[in-house]
Amino acid sequence: MFIRKVTAFIKRDFLIETSYRFSFFLEIFGIITTLLPFYFIGRLFEGRMVSHLIPYGGDYFSYVLLGLTLSNYIGTSLSGIMGQINNEQSMGTLEALLITPTKTWHLLISMSLWGFVYNTAQSILYILFGVLFFGVALKSVNLLSCLIIFSLTIITFSSLGLLSSSFILVFKRGNPISWITGTLSGLLGGVYFPVSVFPVWLMNISLLLPVTHSIEAMQLAVYKGYSPLMLLPQIGILVLFSLILVPLGFASFGYALKKAKKDGSLLQY
Amino acid sequence: MINQPYIIETFNLTKYFNRTKVKALDNINIKVKHGQIIALIGQNGAGKTTLLKILATLILPTNGTAYINGYDVTKDENAIKSCIGLVTGDERSFYWRLTARQNMEFFATLYNIEKNHAREKMEYLFNLFEIDNPDKRFQEYSAGIKQRFGIIRAMMHNPDVLLMDEPTKSLDISSAKNLRRFIKEELVLKSGKTVIFTTHRLEEIKDFCDSVALITKGKITACGKLSEEEIYKCLSEK
Repeated sequence: MFIRKVTAFIKRDFLIETSYRFSFFLEIFGIITTLLPFYFIGRLFEGRMVSHLIPYGGDYFSYVLLGLTLSNYIGTSLSGIMGQINNEQSMGTLEALLITPTKTWHLLISMSLWGFVYNTAQSILYILFGVLFFGVALKSVNLLSCLIIFSLTIITFSSLGLLSSSFILVFKRGNPISWITGTLSGLLGGVYFPVSVFPVWLMNISLLLPVTHSIEAMQLAVYKGYSPLMLLPQIGILVLFSLILVPLGFASFGYALKKAKKDGSLLQY
Repeated sequence: MINQPYIIETFNLTKYFNRTKVKALDNINIKVKHGQIIALIGQNGAGKTTLLKILATLILPTNGTAYINGYDVTKDENAIKSCIGLVTGDERSFYWRLTARQNMEFFATLYNIEKNHAREKMEYLFNLFEIDNPDKRFQEYSAGIKQRFGIIRAMMHNPDVLLMDEPTKSLDISSAKNLRRFIKEELVLKSGKTVIFTTHRLEEIKDFCDSVALITKGKITACGKLSEEEIYKCLSEK
């Protein structure tokens, strides 16, 4: 029954998304305009080996392409549930969902899945454009490593997302977790450039963020074919983040949900 | 959990909202038998909707509890949701970019209704509520038709209890009358459902309800088979 419910949510979101046809075309156009500036920045370094990029294959555009793709998933993990709750609250449909005999966790997971489906379609296009038009080479990908890193990244950031959603349920607006993670990930996480360019003190700060390890490990798995064993340090750190954040995320969300029900503010936004 | 003498029972149900410092419900004790229609009447902010939402498990009570079909609203959330249908006056509770049928299919899945059964049930209810074309986008229907879809959705899983928050709010006089007739004849007399509904329309209770509960500032100030004059008097006295 859970699978049927998940499918129903994905179908619902697909139908709603495709009902806005113009937005769909704009989305494809958006992918090209996002990638082009990085392609031209990459051309600045053409013919030169940039030492910071060497561990990841040496090509700047390839590095950013993967960073952007993974950061899209990270964004969805962080804000998917929270965004959907906000969305359903403002549309007026949250009450109708909560009144159905569906466990709250099932609802939350189902509600946020479309974001990942959408990200996957987007990522395929990113990579397709990258390979076909911008010369990105995917010859040494280690799929098992990618899968492990990807799963751990989604688990870690979805837990942070649950923590974020707790703030939204209780305070409605003003979410420090999302703000801190969103801002720091872009700046310090290594999405646009390797963190090795930072001075040591800043690099040490960046190493405290899970995103740094996710992106570094994914770059090494995709462009250098690193096996899970070779990525053990990064995997270990991500497992540690998961072990801390999963129970914290669930506990805080459970508490926030109960508080919102007690306050009668579950449907307010 | 069947064969309870009362299908709905509340015990000292109290709700206090910290944020607004309002006591929305104050020691509410009601008992409803199977197959009854109960109207909750009161002024805006009296606590009618809060009571319905607690029964629907959307809000937790501060003190006391309530049972539906023997299930505790504070503990048996999913069991309660399976045996109630909630109709609100809010037509925004559907996805306006989807068709009415797509909306119903979606909610049928959430109510654990098997696909083929859902289809049959939908057709039956569309006919019953005289829905000519359920394949239009939801946003294209009139307020009255949207309200009908709200009732159809609440009935999809054949619940024992229907909680209706101003179900006739958006309906014209004739549609409201038809809905009342339908509730009484089809839902209560034929199918033995129990209905609790809130209303501001005094004419709704005449020849329709088995009992009326008058709520004033969170307290039940009168309950039973009240006449229009008695209700009017109670409401004027506040």
